[in-house]
Amino acid sequence: MIRCCSIKPRFASSLACENDKISPTLTNRNLRNLEYLRIAHKPDGYYVDKPGRLYWHKLQLTQTNRHITASLVHHINGSVLTASTREWAIKKQLYKTTDSSAYTNLARVFAQRCLESGLIEFFSDLKTDNENDNVTKFLKVLQECGLKLTEPEQYKTILPWTRERPPKPWEIIE
Amino acid sequence: MANSLLKYITLSNKLLSAKVLSCSPLYISHRNGHHIRGKPPELARSLKQRLEELNYKDPSIHYRVDIGFPNASKSRAAELKYRLDIVKSNYRNAELEKKSRNGELLIDLEEARRDWMKTSGPQQIKEIADHYGVFKDLFGDAYFIPRVSLEVLYNVSDEDQLPVYYGNIVKPAMAIKQPEISYEASDDSLWTLILTNPDGHFTDEESEYVHWFIGNIPGNNVEKGEVILDYLQPFPPRGTGLHRHIFILYKQEERIDYSPLKKSNPCYNLKERTFKTLDFYKDRQDILTPAGLAFFQSDWDTTLTDFYHKCLNMQEPIFEYDFPKPYIRPQEWFPRRKPFNIYMDKYRDPKQINKEFLMRKLEHVHPFKPPRKPLPHPNAIAFEGYIPSWLKVEMTKSRLRWGRINDIE
Repeated sequence: MIRCCSIKPRFASSLACENDKISPTLTNRNLRNLEYLRIAHKPDGYYVDKPGRLYWHKLQLTQTNRHITASLVHHINGSVLTASTREWAIKKQLYKTTDSSAYTNLARVFAQRCLESGLIEFFSDLKTDNENDNVTKFLKVLQECGLKLTEPEQYKTILPWTRERPPKPWEIIE
Repeated sequence: MANSLLKYITLSNKLLSAKVLSCSPLYISHRNGHHIRGKPPELARSLKQRLEELNYKDPSIHYRVDIGFPNASKSRAAELKYRLDIVKSNYRNAELEKKSRNGELLIDLEEARRDWMKTSGPQQIKEIADHYGVFKDLFGDAYFIPRVSLEVLYNVSDEDQLPVYYGNIVKPAMAIKQPEISYEASDDSLWTLILTNPDGHFTDEESEYVHWFIGNIPGNNVEKGEVILDYLQPFPPRGTGLHRHIFILYKQEERIDYSPLKKSNPCYNLKERTFKTLDFYKDRQDILTPAGLAFFQSDWDTTLTDFYHKCLNMQEPIFEYDFPKPYIRPQEWFPRRKPFNIYMDKYRDPKQINKEFLMRKLEHVHPFKPPRKPLPHPNAIAFEGYIPSWLKVEMTKSRLRWGRINDIE
C-alpha cells in the first residue's frame, strides 16, 4: 500500500471544476507497486543463512528424475507462478520431459507467463560452471525472451542526516 | 503392583523434568560480561515461529468464498486415454526424437497457451490475481476462478496490437481508444463487462473509478451491449506508480435494468464514475456470476498532462511517496556521550537548519558573476586558523556534499 502526498500547492479558485476537489493524500492499494518503485521492504538480515532471502521474487528450478519445474517465489506469498513439464500443455508437445530441449521449451513457456503477468525482474541464484549445461541454456533462453535475472536494490528511506541522496527511481522517466 | 510402579516412575520422571527446568540457569554464562537473555537457543522459538504465531488467522473466521463457476466436469478416463495416445505417438515419432535430441525442438507457444487455458490456466491466473490483491480489493473475502478466457486487445496503431493478460504494463498513451473484446459465448447468453481501477481514487481510498461499463451484452457482441458508462482511458497521476485496471466479465442470468447507474455519455465527471465492485455485486449476486478476468497495470506518462487539462478539466495532480517519519526519542536534559551538534540538530526546526545552510551558500554568490567552479579536490584545502574539530567535520561534510547540505542543493 502506498500513501502519496500532493506536492503541488492547491488554491481554491472560483474557476475550479468539480474534479478539482481532491484529497491531499492518495492511497495506491496495488501490492506490487512498491516493488516496482523499489521502496518495498526486502527481508534483509539473513546474511548468515544460505541461501539468503534478500529478494522480492526469486526463480526456483526444481529438477527431478522425470520432470522439471520452474517457479517464481515471492518472499511473503510463496510460489506465485509455475511452469512445469508435468503440465499437459507442455508435456503434450515434448518427446522427453528432462532432456535439453525440455529445458529450453520450459524456459520459453515460463518467460511467456512472466511477461504476461508483468513480473519481469527477479532474483536468481542458479549458477553453473559448464556452458553446455541444461540450466545455463534455461537461463540463457529466459534472458533472450526479455527477462532480467537481477533485481534492483531497495531504495531505503532518505533521512535528513543520510549521507548520499541517490536519485528517486520514480522521478526518472524514460 | 505393576500399576503402582508405573505411577512411581511417572512421578520420578516429573521430578526429574522439574529438576532439569530448575537447572536452566546453568546455560547462562557470565564470562566477559556476556549472558544469554531469554530462553536458551534450543528452547526458544525462532523468528519464523514467532511470525507464524503473530500472523495466525483462524480458518473458521478468515475463510474465502468461491463466487465463480465450477469447473466443467469431464470424463477422466476419456481424457487419460486421449493423453496417453498422444504421449505414445510422440514416443514413436522418429522426427520428433531427432529434433529433441539435437536440441532443435521448439514447441508451438500458442498451442501450449490454448491447452493451458483449458487445463490449469484459470487456476494459475487466479493465483497471480491473488498475488496482485485483485480479489481482496474488489470482492473482499470472495474470489472466483476465471473459467471464461477473456481476450482484450488494444489497437495501438494500424499494425501494432497490445493484448491485456493478467498484470502486464500498458502505458496510457497506448490505451486511448477502447479495446477489442473477445470471448466464447453462446448467442442467447447475456454478459456484463466492467473495467475498474481500485488504486487511483482521489477522495476515498476504498472506492474505485469505473472506466468502462457495458451491460446486457448479447453473446460476445460487445458493440450491441448497452453502454452504461463509456470508455475512459487510464489516467494514473504522476508519482503514484502502477495502477491496476481490471476487466471483469460477468454472466447474467437474465436481463438487468441498469438505468439507475446510467450516466450521460461521454462522462468526464469523476464523482459520477465512483464505483464499488463489492456493493455492485452484493445487490445483484443472484443474477450475476463473475466469469472472466484480465487486468493490466499502468503508470503516468507525458501524454496525460493534456488529458487532465482538456478532458477532465482539472489541474494535473502530482504526488510523491510519503516516507514513514523516523523515530526520534524524547529530548533529554543531560544527554550523555552524544555529539552535541548532531544531537541538537535532531530537535531543531529543519527549516531553520536549511536556512542556515542557504545563508552560508549565499555568502559566496554574486548576482552578476558566474558561480565558482567546483573544486576537484575539495578536502585538499587547509583550514585557516583554529577551528574546533566538530566544525571541521561539518565543513568537510559540506564540501563533499554529504548529509544535510543536499536539502538546499
